[in-house]
Order: sequence, then C-alpha cells, then structure tokens
Amino acid sequence: MDLLEQFANINFYLLGPYPKGEIGGLCLNIILALLAIGSSFIFGALLGYSRLSCRLYIKYPCIAFIEIVRSTPLIMLIFWFYFFLPYFFGGSVTIFWSAVVSLSIYAAAYQAEIVRAGIMAVPRGQLEAALSTGMSRYKAMRFVVLPQGFKMMLPSFVSFFVSLFKDTSVTYIIGVIELTQTGIIISQRQPDKMYAAYFSMAIGFWLVCYSFSHLARKLEKRIGVFDLESYRPEACRDEFMLLPRRGKIGEEADQSARCIPAGPELKG
Amino acid sequence: MIKFITANKWFNNTHVLKNINLEISKGEVIVICGPSGAGKSTLLRTINKLELIDDGEIIVDGMYLSDPKTDLTALRAEIGMVFQHFNLYPHKTAIKNITLAPRKVRGLNRKKATERALKLLEKVGLVHKRDAFPVQLSGGEQQRVAIARSLAMEPKIMLFDEPTSALDPELINEVLDVMVSLAKEGMTMIVVTHEIGFAQKVADRVVFMDAGEILEVGTPPDIFVNPQHPRTKSFMSSVFHIPIFDEKQEEEQESSS
Repeated sequence: MDLLEQFANINFYLLGPYPKGEIGGLCLNIILALLAIGSSFIFGALLGYSRLSCRLYIKYPCIAFIEIVRSTPLIMLIFWFYFFLPYFFGGSVTIFWSAVVSLSIYAAAYQAEIVRAGIMAVPRGQLEAALSTGMSRYKAMRFVVLPQGFKMMLPSFVSFFVSLFKDTSVTYIIGVIELTQTGIIISQRQPDKMYAAYFSMAIGFWLVCYSFSHLARKLEKRIGVFDLESYRPEACRDEFMLLPRRGKIGEEADQSARCIPAGPELKG
Repeated sequence: MIKFITANKWFNNTHVLKNINLEISKGEVIVICGPSGAGKSTLLRTINKLELIDDGEIIVDGMYLSDPKTDLTALRAEIGMVFQHFNLYPHKTAIKNITLAPRKVRGLNRKKATERALKLLEKVGLVHKRDAFPVQLSGGEQQRVAIARSLAMEPKIMLFDEPTSALDPELINEVLDVMVSLAKEGMTMIVVTHEIGFAQKVADRVVFMDAGEILEVGTPPDIFVNPQHPRTKSFMSSVFHIPIFDEKQEEEQESSS
C-alpha cells in the first residue's frame, strides 16, 4: 500500500524538481551516465590504445593515469573534482559538471583496460598478417585488429555501462538531485514510510539496468559475439555430459553404439 | 635480392641465429629445413622485419634493414608472407581478405582490387568460394586464400612459414600445387617446410639449419641424398625412416646368421 502511494511522487522520482528547478531524478541519472559513457568511450579508447604504444613517453603516462584512477574509490574522485575544479576554473563549475567530469575520468580508466584487453585478445598472427601485407601499424589496427577486438569488448562494455549507471547514484553526496537524492528527500518528508521510498529507488534503477542489459543481449546476438546456441541447457545435456541422445540410459542399442568396435586380434 | 651478412639474433640468452651468411638471387626457390627450434621461422621472419636481428645486416632488394630510414611498409609490401596457421581475417570474406591490402596500401579502387582478387582466386581454384568466410573453408582452402592474399600485393619475394604443417595430409597437395605453379612462374620463394617431395621438385637450393646455424647449403640431391655434415645425415635418415648405415652392426648380423 505504502508502495502504491509512492506513485503520487512519481514526477519527483523521474524528473526531480524539474518544472520549477533543474532537471533531476532518474532522468538525471540517465543523462549523467550517457555523458560519462560518451566521453569516456572516446577517451578510454585512446588511453587503452596508447597504453599499448611502443613509444614509452606515451605509454607510461597512460599507465600511470589508468592505475591511479583505478586504485581510487569513485567517491574520492567525485569529492576531488567537486573541490578542485572550482579551485582551477573559478567558482563557475556547477555540481552537475563536476559530477560529469569525475564520472567520465573514472569510466575512461576502466574502459581503457577493456579496450586493451580486447586488442590483446586478438591473436598476434592477425597483426602480423596485416603488417606483412604492407599495412602500417595504424591501418592494421584500424581494419584488422580493432574490428575483431570490438566484438570481444562488447560484453565487458555492457556490464561496465550498467555498473556505471548505478555508480551515478554516488553523486548524491555532492548534492546532485538524482534518483537517490530524490528518494532521500521523500523519505525524510515521510519518516514512517522510509522503506517505500528506498524500494521505489531500487525499482527505478532495476528497470533501467535490466532493459539496458536486455537490449545489449539482443545486440550481442545480432553481432554474433558468442555462439549462444551451444550454451542452451539441451545442448549441455547432449554434448557436454555425453549422455545418449535417444532412449534410456543403459539401453543395449546405445551401449553397443558407444563401444569401440573390437579390431582383429593381433598375431605375434 | 636478399643478402644476410653475419646476422645474429638472441632471445634473452639463447643464441637463435648464429652468423647467418646467405645470398639469394632473383627467381630462386630456397627451401629451409631442419629440426624444430633450429631458427628456421626466425630466419624467415627477419626478412620482412617481423623479427629484428641484433647484429649484422640484411639487405632486401637494395634496402638495408638495420637502417632506421628504411620504409618498413614499402619493404613489407614487396614481400608476401604465408603463415603456418593461415591468419586469415575471420571477420572478412575470402574476397575481402584479398582486396583489403591492395585497397588500403596500394590505393586501388574497389573494382580494380576485386578484379585482381578474382584472377588470383581463379589461380588457386577458389572462385566459387569468393563470398565464404574463413570458418566456412577447409584448411587447404584457407591456406590457398592466404596465398592469394599475399599475391594480391604483387610481391617480388614470397615467404612461406611451414605452409602445410597445420593441414590434414590429404589437403597438403592442393596447397603444394599452387606453390609449385608459383615457383614455375619465376617467383623468388623462401619456403620453410618438411615436404621433401616439394623441395626435390622445385627447390634450387636447400638450406639445412640446426641450433641457429646454417650447416649445409646445396642442391636437393646434395642435401637429401649425399649430406656431408653428420647432423644433416642423422636428420635425413630419421626423416626418411632409414636406419643409419652402420658397418659394424651389419657385420654382427652377418656373423650371427
């Protein structure tokens, strides 16, 4: 019942104080995530590619950046950019943009590692074959290695995007009015129905994350990343557990079919 | 055309190429054979600089490989290479595998590149498979497409790195036939292979290597029938499954019977 009553607040959950104030709620989560994904996609790909560079003055700064960001909690990055961006750019940086910047940098470091893993997962022979036909390293990457690596990166990208979307909720700590913050505001207005507010938040996150992974799975299927057929339960029963396809286990016909026919006896 | 001048290479502490001196002229077919780990593939891969040498010099078609000013892409465009595991691009069809390099490196347009690719596919007998992906081809077919792919760049030199050793025995001949016809057209070829029959048929010279050294160079009969070096003798006898001729053993057998 309490949960149904929360429908009265649905506008606030979805849009925050939008008509009167800035846009917020679940919409803001999505906007934050999309901006972070978009910018980190480009930035992360560049970082990941440069990390594999032969030039040490490109390689080592990238490694340093990636490792520092990856070994720092997101919440610290958010605080860091919240307090330091105004310090460098004057007081004009809003909390929204400091949230976008910190999320993008966080995401870029992780994406760089996904890109690197994807490139390295392509067999070395592919690069060698491309190079031996006279392609430059850049062309070999662009036309041969990356198209194959991208297929392998796709599942990791999807799971990272989903977790990045959930991570946008951490930005409530610097006062971004996204879904978590709206939930907290509502729960404080009605302290006796706190659980309902938190439950609504969870539903909001779940809906977006689930539909995103569902879409992604469809995309994976279309691009043909993995042979999904061979992971069906029926396939497992037949090929992987080596049970007879027809008839009961232990039936004579099956048994004889499985036996290796006896060859002629060897004579000394 | 290709000249090795005391080329040396180390992998960490292993001396994989020891003072290689070899000169290969235009139109020659060279077969390199020897036990595994002898450095045959490494020697082959130094020619198009997929491996670097640490000491010495290699001159390919007038280009000095140790010179940093040498244009690597121009060098490699002149040298075709065929790999043991084919290394076809799995995300492209047979015809696109072949046209990719001519289009991106030589700047041919799609129509011209496709025309050239179809000619090459005809040569290797696979026109009907033009739109097949590598996974839909047998090993022999894949290797023939790979040969066509290297030929599409109209190279002056072809390198073959054990082109038949990943194939089923009955598929080997279709690949060897293509290589034989290529040799007859006067292509400069360097082939690492264990196919003695192929070597006897088309090789101008056979190079026998062991432990990073070139032990013997000679015509196929010289190396296969009358090897001079004891290591070559023992290798050849094990390849041909003939026990080493040993006079003492024979005398013992005679006396016992």
